[in-house]
Amino acid sequence: MANPYQPAPVKILAVQRETYDTTTYTMAFTDPDRQAAYRFAPGQFNMLTVFGLGEAPISISSDAEDRASFQHTIRHVGRVTNAIQRMGVGDTLWVRGPYGNGWPLAQMEGRNVLVVAGGIGLAPLRPVIYYLLNHPEKFNRAEILYGARTPADMLFSNQLLQWQTEKVKVRLTVDQVPNGDAWAHRVGVVTTLFQEMDSQPANTLVVTCGPEIMMRFVVKGLMERGFEASQIYVSLERRMNCGISKCGKCQLGPKYVCRDGPVFAFAELTLLPEPVLV
Amino acid sequence: MAVAKVSERWAAMSLVPKEEVGLLVDGLARHYQVIGPKQKGKAFVLEKLASGQELRLDYQTSILPPRKALIRPRETMFSFHDNQVETVQDAGPQVLFGLHPCDVHALTLLDQVFSLEYEDPYYAARRQQTYVVALNCTTVGENCFCYLMGTGPTLRDGYDLLLTDLGNEYLVEVGSDAGEELLRHLSLRPAPRVRVVEKEKRLDQVRRQFRQQMEVTEMREVLAGSYNHPAWRELAKDCLGCGNCTMVCPTCFCFQVKDQLELDLNHGQRVREWDSCLLWDYSLVALGHNFRPQLETRLKQRLYHKLYYYEDQIGTPGCVGCGRCVTNCPAGIHPLEVVARLKGE
Repeated sequence: MANPYQPAPVKILAVQRETYDTTTYTMAFTDPDRQAAYRFAPGQFNMLTVFGLGEAPISISSDAEDRASFQHTIRHVGRVTNAIQRMGVGDTLWVRGPYGNGWPLAQMEGRNVLVVAGGIGLAPLRPVIYYLLNHPEKFNRAEILYGARTPADMLFSNQLLQWQTEKVKVRLTVDQVPNGDAWAHRVGVVTTLFQEMDSQPANTLVVTCGPEIMMRFVVKGLMERGFEASQIYVSLERRMNCGISKCGKCQLGPKYVCRDGPVFAFAELTLLPEPVLV
Repeated sequence: MAVAKVSERWAAMSLVPKEEVGLLVDGLARHYQVIGPKQKGKAFVLEKLASGQELRLDYQTSILPPRKALIRPRETMFSFHDNQVETVQDAGPQVLFGLHPCDVHALTLLDQVFSLEYEDPYYAARRQQTYVVALNCTTVGENCFCYLMGTGPTLRDGYDLLLTDLGNEYLVEVGSDAGEELLRHLSLRPAPRVRVVEKEKRLDQVRRQFRQQMEVTEMREVLAGSYNHPAWRELAKDCLGCGNCTMVCPTCFCFQVKDQLELDLNHGQRVREWDSCLLWDYSLVALGHNFRPQLETRLKQRLYHKLYYYEDQIGTPGCVGCGRCVTNCPAGIHPLEVVARLKGE
């Protein structure tokens, strides 16, 4: 019997430093057949193992149509992720996945898309952005709002403005600009961008990811502007020890965030007894 | 584990004198590891029986629930070294002997938890080789409320063999082909119809000993509107957050996964051990963020999961009324009393 808990080796193919504490790793399964068969949907995650230290759930940050490899954008803030920081090209990690449901891409057809990301929350949304860029016919208009603490905390800084097309608008903000940093965009939390955004509630699908406190204000701010709970999709973080709805720790009401999420319509969450993002 | 209704198997009923029930264990022990109730201090535990003489079918409840025979309190998932990973499996044929109806129900719930969407290979391997010899309850323990949860004191399915205490002998019913197979190892005499009638009489007497405090459906309704009830704050002051209730619960299944590395920093094992939603670090993630930092929300998680969420997950409440959490709670928190308090009684 195949053991779903047992990870498979991947080789690190490239390392791209994003910020002082965040790095993007390009990797592929060492078994070429496994890599060739590997598929993920934007918004899904893998369980990453460093043997001896443990396992951590990390969302996939690359283009789902790139079949030769996949990427994880990792903030080095925990036991496993700190160990990964010490790794380089050619080193071996262990991976199993993908898990979770992913973003509602099919629902974007013919609609406007509003992407709201905060900090590391842009990583699980980048596959959506690649999807929008690859398939301009699959949606109407898109707008990306991205906020980070400072300019030095911005992920994918050499890509952000290149994502702008006729159909895709990018707006950036930082909470603060330390003395001397160059910054040509907005200053303020990500919700300050709501004042200048083009997105309107009608026929728009919202996808958002970031710290819970940020998503709480995003949801609140959007609903004050007339967006419905059913058109806002959030990606939740929870403690996960298995990724396959067995360890129980990510349970939220009757849902398992690893299996039924991590992406939820906010409307689904409002039905749970335990308050989420409110 | 295919289970047929008892009514289809009238012919397969037999009797074993009480003084010979230990021989039944000894007979099974020649082919299987037999785990059953035995005395430990003043309490009872489900453990491997060295012989039938250790068997204590007069036990009220065991300290730990039978799930420990299927997902161990601590177990190795696989070992690793260099670039190799090897799954560790320790499953072997076992008989869980003398399980009460509540505990058998709990196993059928866990069967679903550990197979929905993804199958847990460790649980599945052990479960496939596990036979259940259940025991209908003819006495009611101090904290039992199975009757209310619809999980006892008698059993309709989920067993391979089912025993009922008829005074000086046990009635033995077959619930599956595997049960018939078990009987093949033993020589029992068939039960006359009159003893089967005696069983129903005795079980009716047991049912009458329960006080029907509340309907299960009502518990759900009460909880649905009580998440912000002020009583929770008071309950959280009583609760110590020790997690005893979850350790002894037959339907709790949460575990945490850890790596342990040997001194050569090369060989190691990935292990898992029972976890508890009552513990502070249960929902802790990187950077120190905790999704349930207050004991109040953790206590609510435990009781809502048992009496509310579980039903949405697999269609039946997650509490089987075994009463272990009541017995082992240092603060005397009783799920039924909590619901009654939320209801305003």
